[in-house]
Amino acid sequence: MSEFYPLQVLNIKKETEDAVSITFDIPQELYSKFIYKPGQYLTLRFHLNGKEVRRSYSLCSSPFLEEYPKIAVKRVKNGLVSNHINDTVKVGDSIDIMLPEGRFYADVKETNYKTYYLFCAGSGITPILSILKSVLHTEARSFVYMIYGNRHQESIMFNDELSALQEQYKDRFVLIHTLSRPNSSWSDLWKTKNDYSYKKGRVDTKMVEWFINEFPPYAQNAEYYICGPGTMIENTKTALKGIDVPNTRIFTESFGGAIEDASVKGFKNAKLIAHLNNQRVELTIPEGKTILRALIDKGQNPPYSCEGGVCSTCVCKLKQGEVHMKKNLSLDDKEVKQGNILSCQSIPLSEIIEVEYLK
Amino acid sequence: MHALPVEAYTSQEWLDIELKYLFSTTWQFAGFVEDVANPGDYISVQAGLNNIFIIKGRDHRLRAFHNICRHRGTQLLRAVGKTQKAITCPYHDWTYDLEGNLISVPKKESEFPNLKGELHKCDLNLHEASVDIFKGMLFVHPEKDAPSIMDFFGEVEPYLGPHKVEELIEYRSKNGEPFYTEEIKANWKIVVENYIDHYHLAHLHEGTLNMYDHAKAEFGWAGPHYWFYEPLVEDFLNDVENAAPYPLIDSVPRDQIGAYVPWLFPNIGITESESAWNTFHVLPLAPDRTLVTIRSKTMNVSEWEYTKQYSKSALSKVWTKYGNKGKYEGDKNDPMASGDFMLEDIYACEQQQKSLQSPYFSVGAQAEKGEYAIQRFQEEVKKWIEKHQ
Repeated sequence: MSEFYPLQVLNIKKETEDAVSITFDIPQELYSKFIYKPGQYLTLRFHLNGKEVRRSYSLCSSPFLEEYPKIAVKRVKNGLVSNHINDTVKVGDSIDIMLPEGRFYADVKETNYKTYYLFCAGSGITPILSILKSVLHTEARSFVYMIYGNRHQESIMFNDELSALQEQYKDRFVLIHTLSRPNSSWSDLWKTKNDYSYKKGRVDTKMVEWFINEFPPYAQNAEYYICGPGTMIENTKTALKGIDVPNTRIFTESFGGAIEDASVKGFKNAKLIAHLNNQRVELTIPEGKTILRALIDKGQNPPYSCEGGVCSTCVCKLKQGEVHMKKNLSLDDKEVKQGNILSCQSIPLSEIIEVEYLK
Repeated sequence: MHALPVEAYTSQEWLDIELKYLFSTTWQFAGFVEDVANPGDYISVQAGLNNIFIIKGRDHRLRAFHNICRHRGTQLLRAVGKTQKAITCPYHDWTYDLEGNLISVPKKESEFPNLKGELHKCDLNLHEASVDIFKGMLFVHPEKDAPSIMDFFGEVEPYLGPHKVEELIEYRSKNGEPFYTEEIKANWKIVVENYIDHYHLAHLHEGTLNMYDHAKAEFGWAGPHYWFYEPLVEDFLNDVENAAPYPLIDSVPRDQIGAYVPWLFPNIGITESESAWNTFHVLPLAPDRTLVTIRSKTMNVSEWEYTKQYSKSALSKVWTKYGNKGKYEGDKNDPMASGDFMLEDIYACEQQQKSLQSPYFSVGAQAEKGEYAIQRFQEEVKKWIEKHQ
């Protein structure tokens, strides 16, 4: 499960001032393994400053086109890995990468007749772009209405590719750019009307309502995909639920930025019983550590990738005891009710905790 | 008659079978998109044995439910409230949300002690149906997980006219009635067979539909659906800007002007011409009675444009030669002398229905090309019923 494969960097392209896209070569013997669905991500492993770090990045390529797997990485302020990738990774490098995974994807099929609403902001474009390309190329009858939020014109990733898609599929693809701080200058006075083809503002409740009113679904089987920072997801979801979009039609992927609830103190030196890789492991959870970290520190090999409460690779079943999840951006209420927890976010609230990893 | 027995056109048993296995197993026409234009708008339609309720949510997505309150089965559902967030049955005020979940039952605790826990988990939610849009038309299907509407119509779509239906507006009389409704005293399949019969065009309608070039007609089948196209005769095409009765539909390129007259299985035809786009909906009322409803759409331009076009058309020489001459001369009340192709068709259908009672009735011969569609349609009906029985 948590196996890594060394993949070679085939190409690096500067997408904006602070983002690059990286294309990987897949050796023939791994073709069948590196199959992915549009929306899924890759987990990369680096050893930086003597420490192992993992990060998950959504694939922005489409598995339905003859494209090499591609990710895009935007610099995060003081971010260890994102800056390392932007500054030092070069063509020919070998990077350890896990097989594609993720629960945020579109089930794209040639016979589908659907309306896709795609909401994204910033680097949240990456999985959305994969879904967008896959749908437009594969589902000849489906419609796509997309809204893409950015700070200003220059921070729009994949702008050329998006414009080309707009031109090619203008009958059934609508793209609205929204800019929170659009650049403007005196020379704008000489610009044509077309240069202003964006809306001012953020992807928020008002914008979402305006968007749906403006572009009602044609095919009635509508699905709503949202990717961006936590607040943008919450706002979009709230807006959609406010107009009675059923939960079952909304799919989200959070790109960090959620608020962590650090106010809860864990149980001191709780005992952990973990069923992992067909073994029973018993250990004590040091104060302040998560279940996942406690296992890793003791030399165990639990499944995980993002360690940020986003990807849900580290999910396990709580058999006994009580935990607190600091962040949960991937499990829905029903899954939590069924006893699923993210071990990378869980701190103990009771003396004995028993969990079972199913993967 | 060809593939079906005469009883298929005369007996209640056959109509019952058709209602159950044909009209209740196919996507059925329910109106135009604009009939349910705004959040909270709703309509109900009879589709075979099912009465289906279509409502638009505030997310502008349509929902379809069987119009049956789960309490006593009353067909009284309606949308209520300022926010149009609920569907209620006025009989006892049982209330459902827009996903069909039961959310309120008056006197629940005292009268229905067995309904424990959350109402929407009590197996009393509305029965879901399906609704979707094709060419600006609403269609419903009684099953919740119906096969996609494009699985059903996708094959025939490339053969339809280039008209952008969504840009057109509907002609309505002052009291909101459709363009044309008529009860025809014939089995619904006779009406369909007349619609798809190419052979009769040059004969029954020799003076009424002669502005179309029947000799150049192209037609065929796509799945269970029939498609048909014929160009205008040269005289009409050369003067079409003036002669057309309404402003020309601008989404039809000049080189694609003509009459597209497909039949969508099982009971709706479309007539897509240079200046009008019509639906021709056929609904069986009895084995020998059929309701035909035509709704008509034309260009979204001002009354003034229509008036101008009307004058130009009236002056056009085309109509001195084409389109309005009866088959026979005589009293205008005689359908055969009326110069109106609908009256000609109705007359032919009703006269055929009358003969079905006679012990001497039989179909003597069939035109190989011009009437092939009739046999094919009957085969499609038979095939569909057998598959779903």
